[in-house]
Amino acid sequence: MGTVKEKLIPSKYIPEVGSHIETIEGKKFLITNDAMYTFYRRTKGEFSDFFLALRDEKRLLGCKCSRCGLIRVPPFLTHCPDCNFAPTDPVEVEQVGVMNSTPPITYFATSLFQHLAPYGRGRVIFDGADTAMSMVLYTTTGILTPGIIKKGTRVKLVFNDERIGDVSDVFCVPAAELRRDQIEKKGLQRSEIDWESPVEPELPAASASDVAAYREVVQETRSIIEEMNRNDRARKDIAGWKRDILVKTRGGKFGIRIDDGSIRLEETGPTSPDFVMVCQDPRTLLDGLAYRGAITDSVINKKLWISKNMEFNTIFKLDRMARSVARSKKV
Amino acid sequence: MSKRVGIVGAGVTPFKGTWREKTYYELAQMATREAVKDARIPIGDVDAVFYGIYNDIFERAAIPEHALHGLLGMQNKFGTRITTGGATGAYTMSAAHAYLAAGRFKTALVLGVEKATDCFDFSSMSATPEVIKSIGWSGDSFFEQSIGWSASDSYAEVVLAYMDEHPGDLKPEITARISAQLSEHVLTNEYAQRQFDQVTPEEVLNSRLVVYPFRELEICVYSEGAAALIMAEEETAKAISKNSGQPVVWVTGVGEANEHSFAGKNQKDMSRIMSDYHASHRAYAMAGIEDPAKTVEIVELHDAFVHQLEISMAEFGLVPLGRADSLIEDGLMTPGGKYVVNPCGGLVYCGHAVGASNIMSAWSARNELIKRGLKTALVHGTGSTIAQYTACMILENA
Repeated sequence: MGTVKEKLIPSKYIPEVGSHIETIEGKKFLITNDAMYTFYRRTKGEFSDFFLALRDEKRLLGCKCSRCGLIRVPPFLTHCPDCNFAPTDPVEVEQVGVMNSTPPITYFATSLFQHLAPYGRGRVIFDGADTAMSMVLYTTTGILTPGIIKKGTRVKLVFNDERIGDVSDVFCVPAAELRRDQIEKKGLQRSEIDWESPVEPELPAASASDVAAYREVVQETRSIIEEMNRNDRARKDIAGWKRDILVKTRGGKFGIRIDDGSIRLEETGPTSPDFVMVCQDPRTLLDGLAYRGAITDSVINKKLWISKNMEFNTIFKLDRMARSVARSKKV
Repeated sequence: MSKRVGIVGAGVTPFKGTWREKTYYELAQMATREAVKDARIPIGDVDAVFYGIYNDIFERAAIPEHALHGLLGMQNKFGTRITTGGATGAYTMSAAHAYLAAGRFKTALVLGVEKATDCFDFSSMSATPEVIKSIGWSGDSFFEQSIGWSASDSYAEVVLAYMDEHPGDLKPEITARISAQLSEHVLTNEYAQRQFDQVTPEEVLNSRLVVYPFRELEICVYSEGAAALIMAEEETAKAISKNSGQPVVWVTGVGEANEHSFAGKNQKDMSRIMSDYHASHRAYAMAGIEDPAKTVEIVELHDAFVHQLEISMAEFGLVPLGRADSLIEDGLMTPGGKYVVNPCGGLVYCGHAVGASNIMSAWSARNELIKRGLKTALVHGTGSTIAQYTACMILENA
């Protein structure tokens, strides 16, 4: 264990030394790339037993108050404040539990967690515990959408194959998505679960009317993208961003090229796109770009498929551009 | 016996998505200049300063207030900083009130400032993911930070738990209408980040999900800016008021509460914001308010999220728990309704410059009490994980 050799700050997060000038009302302002960082050799102190049990033994520990008997998981204290600081004793709890309440789902994550989104995070009361532990939640069936995990849903604790002694070593999935032997197994690992891998949806053959409708929608889409390209606020939304996107629909396919502050529609899609969007009805994307509903929601509702979850980032930017154009029209 | 304390001056800077033209030094001084000008006193007459600055990472400095002290003209005087997450501004006012009520000082400057969007994520080439990452360092460092805790998802936990208990409340069409209404309120706030961003309920419903169940147009926007108040004990306040020609707006009640940060048995009840309940009711008790629903006229509420605005109004006792949608359905906060809620546009439309936000809310409440000739306002700040912290203040226009 503890063999994962990664940098504490992955190099992709570290910008170059540099600066630029922004001019506002004729006056120049100096903007410099900067960072504020501190490294630690930080002790897990009284929590060491808990984290070592997670890492080395795939066990989940809590603490039990010697007076009131309350079992806290995680064991976030050594003495119970409800009992005038009576000491607590370590206990092991089960690796199946129940959601304390319906968990939120993060689609737009912080810069550290964009690779995990969309993810749920909620509080699980493991069998044998009285308090709830904050856990990352996934479904084995693809993108987590509202309704899959709710208050009262039974969930199973799963361990990453590589563990470092941290709460990120574990997560939960709905027990209903697992076999009985998996649910009953203590120390179930990620690699022991069948994860539904993203498969590009197949599109039905296009009829002549589909193709005609497609041509019409592409024209409208082009016109909206050209409007975005003329809009300063929208262009700012994609400053420094470069993506070649292949859009596949029932009636045909086209490309969208985002290139550091400019966006354009290309009749012929890229041969090696950064990612692929698939939507049966090309209006799904058109409506999003025209600010008639969010593209993000179309992905969540499975009306629009993207080949890489990380590209939610690009979807957000397209949604933002649509809003920027709409906002500019108001002022 | 503690002394009465009142607000005798206030000022804010414009709240903006980014202030490339100013550092937080200048923003702090701008708001202070406005506040002393409003009170018509020289800065030399101010005895102490209470700084509300939430996050060292935003300002890119530990002890970010130390440089401000001299450039505000407060050298050789008392200065302390308060930092309590989103509730920083409200707690800063509470601290100033306590010192003034105790007779330690005659006058105090309450200054909130925040510079959030200097943070920048070079991988997505945008500020927001880095801003929310910086806030993410506020989560529990042993059990939550490394699994993606964020301010949005922790408040969403509380909102969803409330919705588990009250499935018919916080309907999407109602949260959308509240957001649209706040966007109308902001039209008169020339300092707001989104003064001219009026939206329809349909636009709100069509905006993208950021963290389920929150949509983009139901969430506060990160701002940069500063807000300042001049507070004074009774006799000094009256003297300043006589000179400035503006009435003293009295702080008649203050209350605070911080909950557990863990959930489950004997911990936080996730379906409630008990910090809001306790803080508001303590403030009512101090102000002698027996029935808040009959007394409170203006609410300047920390609307980090529109859903939370509704729950907070219920915890304040202004609408029933489980019937917060009555704010719209019964016309309680619609134009001409019983309550004036967030006339400044709230943090969703005026903006959320964290340490400055609740002080901006007090600035607005004071202005509105005087302008509308109303008597009682409630000012509120919420913060930390799962809406753990609250401070409330009752303002009265005697």
